[in-house]
Amino acid sequence: MTKKKSPMMKIFIIFFVVEIALVLISGNFTKELEIGFDNGKFVFRQIESEFNLQEKITEEFQIDEYNAQHEEVKDLYGSEKLFSVFKTLSMGETPVGTFQLLRMLLIVDIVLLFMALFIRKFLAGRPSKSQLIFEMIYTMLEDFVRETLGKDKIYYTPYIVTLFIFIWICNMIGMIPIPGFMEPTRNLNVPLGLGLMAVVVVHFSAVKFKGAWKHIQEYMPHKNPLFILDIVGEVSKIVSISFRLFGNILGGAIIILVVSSLVSFVVFPVGLNLFFGVFVGTIQAFVFTMLALTYIGVEISE
Amino acid sequence: MELTLAHGIVKAAALLGAGLCMGMGALGPGVGEGFVAGKACEGIARSPENASLITRTMLVGQAVSESTGIYSLVIALLLIFSS
Amino acid sequence: MITVEHIQIAAFLGAGLCVGIGAVTTGIGSGIIAGEGAYGIVKQPKANDQLFRTMLIGQAAAQTAGIFALVISMLLIYGRSDAPEGGWYKAAAYLAAGLAMGLGSIGPSLGAGYAGGQACKSIARMPKHGNAIMGNMLIGQALSQTSAIFALVVAFLLMYSIPNQPEGITVGRILVKSVGLIGAGLSIGLGTLGPGTGIGFVAGKANDSMGRFPNQKSNIMRTMFLGAAVSESTAIYSLVISFLLIFAL
Repeated sequence: MTKKKSPMMKIFIIFFVVEIALVLISGNFTKELEIGFDNGKFVFRQIESEFNLQEKITEEFQIDEYNAQHEEVKDLYGSEKLFSVFKTLSMGETPVGTFQLLRMLLIVDIVLLFMALFIRKFLAGRPSKSQLIFEMIYTMLEDFVRETLGKDKIYYTPYIVTLFIFIWICNMIGMIPIPGFMEPTRNLNVPLGLGLMAVVVVHFSAVKFKGAWKHIQEYMPHKNPLFILDIVGEVSKIVSISFRLFGNILGGAIIILVVSSLVSFVVFPVGLNLFFGVFVGTIQAFVFTMLALTYIGVEISE
Repeated sequence: MELTLAHGIVKAAALLGAGLCMGMGALGPGVGEGFVAGKACEGIARSPENASLITRTMLVGQAVSESTGIYSLVIALLLIFSS
Repeated sequence: MITVEHIQIAAFLGAGLCVGIGAVTTGIGSGIIAGEGAYGIVKQPKANDQLFRTMLIGQAAAQTAGIFALVISMLLIYGRSDAPEGGWYKAAAYLAAGLAMGLGSIGPSLGAGYAGGQACKSIARMPKHGNAIMGNMLIGQALSQTSAIFALVVAFLLMYSIPNQPEGITVGRILVKSVGLIGAGLSIGLGTLGPGTGIGFVAGKANDSMGRFPNQKSNIMRTMFLGAAVSESTAIYSLVISFLLIFAL
């Protein structure tokens, strides 16, 4: 009996092959590979560039500063029309980093919407493989919600599942090798917004299930002024939940960039992409979701 | 406004203090919370029927042992922004 | 007046401290794993191959933080620019980068070593569930290395995103900025020590319990994730303080 390869294994192998091919085509790292759109035409070419690590880091992570130095905005975006719309919307002042972030978030939203419609259309009694994967994710998270919050509060599941899939797609999308693509979670604003939302949901549920006065009273049981530190603790909840996601994704991006510049050939960046993109991205999405869920659980339990 | 040397020394000392404060302050809570979570893992393996109770106790215990870390954070922020 | 030699001295000092401090617990961690592996082979000679493989993989994962330290120290020795206009800012930043990564690899290496050791012990107890235990060991070690990744991020930012010292500023201003940078390095370096060790302890206990009660796999893993994530929060506060000290001054 021969052992068949599992689909996960196949995906990994395809990923490896594609990455290795990309790196081989790009030769060594003083040449860069460019895929994208230029003047409406599809471009796939090698460009010569002097690899300057300092400049590269500025370009990737402090994009506003980079553009203040270089003033070649439209090269980064491909479509000037979109950029001009953004310019009129933001009344002249155009931070480029924000534009890039909003564009990436829009792409993530479109992917989510497309996925939802696609899966909904092909819902069947005898499920296909992709449907099975999503049902597995959903039932797993549903079980966690049932265990943590109880059977009667199962209606928290859609929020939790949406949170997980959104963060997961955000973490994965940066691996697509197109110039200008980045993980939206690499920008601090996105995790901070998600964390703020999660803590607002926590306190809203606490007020809903226990009543406002009782919820406030829990913060000052003995009427001493130390409750200020509890409030600091609440704020630090937002900080820790969002900076955990942000720090891990940013760290992965920086390490991939620096190691690619140090090693001129093949294998290292591929493994790093696998580790930081797939593994750390999935774990951090899961951790964020579970923490949001357990914060809710701790607050609404008696 | 440019700093004088004396002010500079004071501010520099405050910043170094902030770094040391947060660094050292993170040491204890980190180990302690890890200990709590490790024991919780052991407990859940032993009696899985109490899983949600153990998880809740673990989170509350970690939140309490993290409070000294939060004090360090507050002091470090004060040192950075008030000097 | 600062010369090239001053920056060189700072960078070389940073490089030496980085790999010197970082290698201490990397050695200890790998030693723990090897010891438990050897003892496991004595107890369960049939699981020889599996234990040997787990030991090697565990040691490789436990040395990740040490390798980060090595990379930083190589970059400090060979990969910096020696322009004197970098000034005291650059000198302080190089020293701080070395300190951050060197101190920052102490905790994670120790933690990953403990996790790997417990995994070897568990496999010796229950060789049948070896693959599940090894998977759990790798996930736990990766979790404990996240704080080393924070230290690495700060070290890279210190090395590459600090601007040159501007012309004509007072001694007080120079002092504030450069001491602030060293404070940033110390903050993240010392701050990852506790969480790294703690998360390693969590992963070790999880591996140990998995060897005792293999049918509780998913429960144990979930608790490990949650506990490790919460233990990491103090490392994240240190990261925030470091970012403030680097960028907000």
